[in-house]
Formats: sequence, structure tokens, C-alpha cells
Amino acid sequence: MMSDRLRAFSGQIIAVGVALLLGAIIILLVGESPIHVLMTLLRGAFGDQEKIAGTLLQTTPILICGVAACIGLRGGMFNVGIEGQLFLGGFAAAWVGFSFSLPAGIHMLAALALAVVAGAAWVAIPAFFRARYNTNEVVSTILSNYIAVLLTSYFTIFLFKRPGGWSETPPILATAYLPEIFSFSRLNWGLFIGLALAVGVALIFRYTSWGYGVTMVGSAPKFAEYGGVNVKRQGFVVLLLSGAVGGLAGGVETLGVHHRFMEGFAPGFGFDGLIAALLANGSPVATIVTALFFGALRSGSLLLEVDTSASREIITVIQALIILSVSAQVLIKRRGDSQAGERRWKF
Amino acid sequence: MEILDKLINVALIAATLRTTAPILLVALGGSFTTKAGIFNIGLEGQMLAGAFFAVIGSIWTGSAFAGVACGVAAALAFALAFAVLVVTFRANEVVVGLALNILAGGMTISLMKAIFGTRGSIVGHGIVGLPKVQIPGAQALLGSWAPLISGFTPIVYVAFIAVPLLVLFYNRTRLGLYIRVVGEKPEAAEALGISITRVRYIASLLSGLLAGLAGAHLSLGYITMFTENMSSGRGFMAVAILIFSNGDPLKVLAGCLLFGFADAFSLRLQTFGFPSYLVLTVPYVVALTALFALSYRARPKIIKETLASMQKLLSVDRNSAPVDKNP
Repeated sequence: MMSDRLRAFSGQIIAVGVALLLGAIIILLVGESPIHVLMTLLRGAFGDQEKIAGTLLQTTPILICGVAACIGLRGGMFNVGIEGQLFLGGFAAAWVGFSFSLPAGIHMLAALALAVVAGAAWVAIPAFFRARYNTNEVVSTILSNYIAVLLTSYFTIFLFKRPGGWSETPPILATAYLPEIFSFSRLNWGLFIGLALAVGVALIFRYTSWGYGVTMVGSAPKFAEYGGVNVKRQGFVVLLLSGAVGGLAGGVETLGVHHRFMEGFAPGFGFDGLIAALLANGSPVATIVTALFFGALRSGSLLLEVDTSASREIITVIQALIILSVSAQVLIKRRGDSQAGERRWKF
Repeated sequence: MEILDKLINVALIAATLRTTAPILLVALGGSFTTKAGIFNIGLEGQMLAGAFFAVIGSIWTGSAFAGVACGVAAALAFALAFAVLVVTFRANEVVVGLALNILAGGMTISLMKAIFGTRGSIVGHGIVGLPKVQIPGAQALLGSWAPLISGFTPIVYVAFIAVPLLVLFYNRTRLGLYIRVVGEKPEAAEALGISITRVRYIASLLSGLLAGLAGAHLSLGYITMFTENMSSGRGFMAVAILIFSNGDPLKVLAGCLLFGFADAFSLRLQTFGFPSYLVLTVPYVVALTALFALSYRARPKIIKETLASMQKLLSVDRNSAPVDKNP
């Protein structure tokens, strides 16, 4: 058991190494020195206490989105729509934040609650069709991302635009803010929410019969069905929960960082979260580590844009290479199975 | 007034054909992988890479057609990577496809910054667009309806001619039949000695070829520029079409015309002052609605088609057609 895990872990490390090597080659092609880029990334991510706080700030939404993806992956569902759920959750939280005045604390909780509901509601239709008619959830959630981004932009610019402002809503009231941890950074309690969520979800999967059922459905649906699990209903619930957590990520981002909703407020966090969850093999606790890794990359890339001529999207390339090499590596071991054998999400 | 109406209709139909072309090409490309039993979510990235490298090739060589060749080559490289990981390493096709899409997005932006020093878009720099083909005699033959068959870029014609060719390919050629058997009943293919690996590689590369053409159409067709993520979900819409059409060329055409119309129509709505953000959602909403409405009916059909094609294959075998043996 332990050696299995150790082997899987070392496999991931080797794959990340291969991806970084490929990334270095691409950086050379772009005309930069890989060492210089690496040092700049490290300096940008961990250079001083503000930079470290910045890294944790970037980690927070990636972690929460990663947990959302983990819930789906465990149940055998690819929720690629986390990005869209994040946008709607973010807008819903902002709407509660600027349209109501409630006592401090309660206001924040109400905003987060609506963000959760918005995220779950947004995934409800794809989830229903996935559960009922087996409609491919990958495509339906991807397409709904585009609609979510355009729809929230419409809300922001046509319905709730702050007079005289950029394409953003009015600021939310201070009673709805997520409290900040340090005075020198916008790092806020959202990080604790993310950590608690990761640990909590891991515990649910480990110790409750419901969590066991979800994992069963994800890895062996037929077996789960014979074992008495209502596979269809559970698939629906899993996607709904995944969407709810995705919405929460948006709410945390709005209430903790921006204090308003604006167009394109969180580009790519949903996808980063999905990648972090895949790299962590669907384990919420391991997602803490991978989210931190991607948070550091993101945070470092801001300095990269300033200090070198490379674009910050180079880290997206590195992330994609990591996933590609991870997806290839363990399969080398499994080459013995039948060619027609089923493919699983686990790699 | 009547004449004006008519003109607007002709223009709208012509615009529909124009906007249909890229999604039709990418969906027809995906039809190869769908028929071969691969869920190809990576079409979006192949298309984006095709669009970017078509622009690069066009600038470097000063020729639009060399640009198209460059775009196709880039898309083929992505398709090859997809095939290596999915077919040879049997990695999860959704994971690989999504990762390749992300790679294409990040890579095109990084290269844009490295080569042109800009973000956002590449305009000018000597990009040569594709010429428009004027069909001789179209004006005389059809009068005001001439824009329906004349004045498109070559890729538009390729897209529409590809539809009947693909019908013939699947029904009349051995490779087409092999692709279908591999997709519908891999065990049968294995038993008959068809190399599943080789057929899936071929299908994946064919899909890259058409996706690259689709990308080149985006950046060198009617607007000669490249913008970040300019494929904007067309590859995903194509996948939605593929799911409910099951990759059948004629149904793909019908689905794509629907999207082309939604696209052209939404552009028209925009000029009438509807909020652009809502109008832009129209193609995605149409795609989702069609996916939800039609996909659940596909399942009994797959089984029926499998039986039919197995019978066909067996009759091919009985007519003593040599089946190449592959380990």
C-alpha cells in the first residue's frame, strides 16, 4: 500500500521533472534563459513576505476550484465548468454584497451562501442531463463556461454598472468582506476556507459511507450499482456539489480580494484548479500541494512579465506539459492491458 | 422593399455559409476520430494552433497558401501528440485533449509575445489573406443569388465539398469501414486483424488536417488577423455536434449549418443594437440546447449501426477481400 503510493508519488515527481525540462526547451525557443526565468519565477513567488502572501493569495481560488474538481473526479465526473461556476458565484456574492445591508458576518455568510447556490444552480442543467440521459458532461460544462462569462459581463455592464467606473459593479459593503490576515497583503480568510474544505472533503471521502459510495461509482460504477448505490442520483449530486464549491471559489475571490465583481475577474482559476486536482490524482489533501505549486507559478509569472520579455502565459504552457507528461507516465506501466480496455480518469 | 428583403436574405445566407465553413471543417475532422471511437476534445487547440501558424507562415513566406500549409502542419503536430498519448500510451482522452487545448492557448500567446512583442492580436505585419474565388458565369446564371456560390475563399469550397466525399469515404472505402469498425466494435476489429493503433493514428491525423484548415480559415479567410483564443469555443461546439450527429457527415453538415446560421444571425442582431454580450451567447446556447435535446437518442442507434457494419464487414470478408494482418 505504502510502496504503491510512494511509487505513484515518485512517478508524478519524475513527470513534473520531464515537463519542466520540456518547458526549459520552449523557454529557450522563445529566446529567454531558462535559469533566468526560473529564478525570476522563484523570486516572484517567494522573494519576500509580501510575495509569499501573494502566492498564497493566488493559491486560494486554485485550491477551492481544485477541491471542486476533486469531488467530480472522485465520482467519475469531469466538471470542466468550474470556470463558469466561479464567475456566477463571484457575481452572486458581489450582488448580495452591494445590494443588501446586513450585520457584519451575517452579510458575508449570506453572500457566500448565494455564491454556493449560484454555482450549484449553474451546473444543475448539465448535471441533470448527465444523470438522466448520459449527456456528455465535459462538452456541456465547457460550453456553459462561455455563456457564464458573457452573462456575468452582461449583468455587470448593462444592469449593475458602477456609474463612471470601468466594467465593474459597485463595491460591496465592508460588512461582507472576508477579513484579511496580514496588513501588507490582501490575503484573507479564504485561504482557511480552502484548507478546511480540502481536509473536510478528504475526511468525508475517507470516513463516510456516502463518500465511499461516490468513490465506488467513480472507479467501478457497475459494482456500485449492484452494491445498492443509486448511480444516477449520486452522479447528479456529485456534479451539483462540485458546482457549489466552484461557486464558493468565486464568492471567496469577490469578497476577499476584489470587493466588487468585474469583467474577467478571475481568468483561468477554474482550469488551474482542474489541473491541480488531476495532478493530485483526485485527492483533496494532495491538491493543497499542487494548488500551492500552481499558485506560486502564477504569482511568479507576474514578475516574469515585468522582468523578462517572456509572456506570463509561458507558465500555462508548463502546466499543460506537466499534465501531458503525468498522463503518459503511469500508463507506460500499464501497457499490458487489452487495447480495447476501458480508459479511466486516473493516471 | 421586397428586393431589399431578398438581398438581405441572400447576404444572410452567404454569411451563414461563410461562418459555417470553419465549424464544418473542424467537425468533419472530428468525425474521423468520433467514428474511430476517440473522444477528441482537443479539436479546439488544433484549430487555434492552425490559426496562429497560418498567420506566421503567411507572414514568413508572403503566400496565403504556404500559410495554410503551415497552419495545417501545426495542427497535425498537435493531432500527432494527441494520438501518441491517447492511442499509444492510452492516456485519458479528456485529460490529454484539455491539456493540449491549454497548451495551444498558452503557446500561441507566448510565441506572439516573443515574435511580435505584443499581446492581444497580430494585425498587419504583411499577413496575406486567402483570395476569393469568383466562379465564372455565376453572375449570369444566378443574378442576385450569385453570392451563394461565388466569391468565397477556397477553404469554404473545400469544407462543403468534403461532406459528400466523407459520405463516400465511410460507405465505399475500406479505410472508412475500418475506421467505423474500430470505433464501434474494437474487439471485432482486433479479431479481423485490423490494427486498431494504426487506424486510430490515421483518424487522428485526418482530424488534425481538417482542424488545421479550419483554423487557417479563421485567421486568413475573411479577417486577416490572429487574436488570443480566436477559435472561441468552435472546437467545443464541433464536439457537441459530433456527439449528437454521431459523426455522420450529413448530420454534421445539418448541425453546422444551424450554428453557422446562429453565428451569422447573432452578428446581424448586434447591428440592430441588442446587447452584444447576450447576442454572443446565442451560438453557445444553441449548441447546448441541441446537445441536450438530441444526445440521449443516440444510444440505441449506436448499437444498431454496429450490427449493420459488422454484417457489412463480414460480407466484405466473404468476398475474399484481403484483410491485412497486423500484430
